[in-house]
Amino acid sequence: MKIYTQTGDQGKTSLFSGERVVKSDARIHAYGDIDELNSVVGALIAALLPDSEAAEGQLKEIQSDLFQVGAWLAATSGSEAQARLNSITIGYSQRIESWIDGMDAQLPELKSFILPGGHPTAAWAHIARTVCRRAERAVILLAEQEAAAGRSFEGFAPIVAFINRLSDYFFVLARWLNQHAGMGDVQWQG
Amino acid sequence: MMPRPTPANDIRPRFVVAVTAVRWLSEGTFEIRLERPVGFKFLPGQKISFVDGALRRDYTLLGPVDAPELALCVRHVPDGLFSPRLSRARIGDRFQITAPFGYFTLKTSGRPAVFVATGTGIAPFVAFANAGARGFDLLHGVRTPAELYYRDLLFTAARRYIPCVSAAAGDGEIGPEGFAGRVDRFLSTQYPDGAYDFFLCGRIQMIRDVTRLIDARFSGSRVFIEAYD
Repeated sequence: MKIYTQTGDQGKTSLFSGERVVKSDARIHAYGDIDELNSVVGALIAALLPDSEAAEGQLKEIQSDLFQVGAWLAATSGSEAQARLNSITIGYSQRIESWIDGMDAQLPELKSFILPGGHPTAAWAHIARTVCRRAERAVILLAEQEAAAGRSFEGFAPIVAFINRLSDYFFVLARWLNQHAGMGDVQWQG
Repeated sequence: MMPRPTPANDIRPRFVVAVTAVRWLSEGTFEIRLERPVGFKFLPGQKISFVDGALRRDYTLLGPVDAPELALCVRHVPDGLFSPRLSRARIGDRFQITAPFGYFTLKTSGRPAVFVATGTGIAPFVAFANAGARGFDLLHGVRTPAELYYRDLLFTAARRYIPCVSAAAGDGEIGPEGFAGRVDRFLSTQYPDGAYDFFLCGRIQMIRDVTRLIDARFSGSRVFIEAYD
C-alpha cells in the first residue's frame, strides 16, 4: 500500500485504538520520542566497529522492545487495541540491568564527570541517552495526564522503568564503546 | 496494488496451500478458496500475503474462522502479478502464503459501529459478519450494482446495509436502501451527526475523504483504517 494516506494533513492522526487526536497530543509526543530514540539506536548500530557483535545484538533487541513500547503508547489505556498487544513487563528493564552490569564489569571505575563524545559510536550512544531522557519525560507527562483523567498508571510503570534504565545503559555503553575504540572516557576538566 | 518486496526481516511462518475452488462474484472479482493448513488460526479481519520470491500481495480472510478452507475475495487486475494467476488457478494448484497478520479487527465500544468499504474492501466486514457481528451500519461503495457481492449475508447481519453505487443504475437495481453516489457523499448528506466507531477499508482516496469528513462532522468518533491502492 502507499506510504501516505493524506489523512493527517489537517493536523490530526489516528491512534492505534482509533481515536482521532491532534498531533500535539501528549501521547503523540511520547511515542514520537520513542520512535526518535529507536532511529538513533539504528544510527548507532550502523556506526558500530567490527567485533561489536554483543553490543549489536543488545541494541537490536532494544529496537524491537522500543517498537513494542511505541505501539503500546499509541493506544489509549485500557483499550481493546492495547489489550491485543504484548504486555511490557518489568523483565524489559531487568534485562537492561544485566547488560549494564556486564559492561560495567569491564570498565575502569568512574572518578570524574565525563563529557559526551569521543569515538563516533560513543557520541551516538550519548545522543541516544539524551533522547531517551526526553522520551522518559514525555512518557511520564502522558502517564500523569492519564492518572489525572482517572486512568490507571499500572501499565506505565514497567515502561517508565525500562526507559529509565535504558538511559543508564546508553551511558555505560558510551564508555564501553570508547574503551572498545581505544580512546577511553572524555573527562571533564572543570 | 503493486506487490511489495518482502521485508528482509519478514519472519512470518509460511505455508504452501492448494486451491480448492475459484468462484466469480462479478465480472472483475472472484472468490478463491484454499486448503487450510493444520493449526492455522486467525482473527476476523486479519489477512495473509501471497508470496512469490520478493513479491507479495495481501488479502483479507473472509472466514468463518472455523471453516475448513480459507476464502479470499480478489479483484482481477489484468496487469497485476498475482490476481491473473489466481484467477486462472485450477483446483490443486499450489501457492505460498504467510501466516495471518494485521490489526484491522473488530473493536467494540458504546458507540455505534459504521463499516465503510469500497470494492473488495468489503472483505473484513464479511469476516466480521461471518464471526457473528450484528447491528452495524455498512456502506459499500461500488461502481455498479453487480459488484455488491456478499449482499445477502451483509443485508441480514447489518442494521442498515447501504449500497452506494457511483455509476448510473437502473430503477430498483440498488434497492430501497441504496444510494446513487459515493460513500463520502452519503455520509456527508444523509448520515446523522454523532460519535461512531468507523471502520474504513478500501482505496486511499475513500479513506482520505471519509477521514476528513469524520474530523469535520463526527468529532469524538474512533477511526480504524485498512487502506490499499
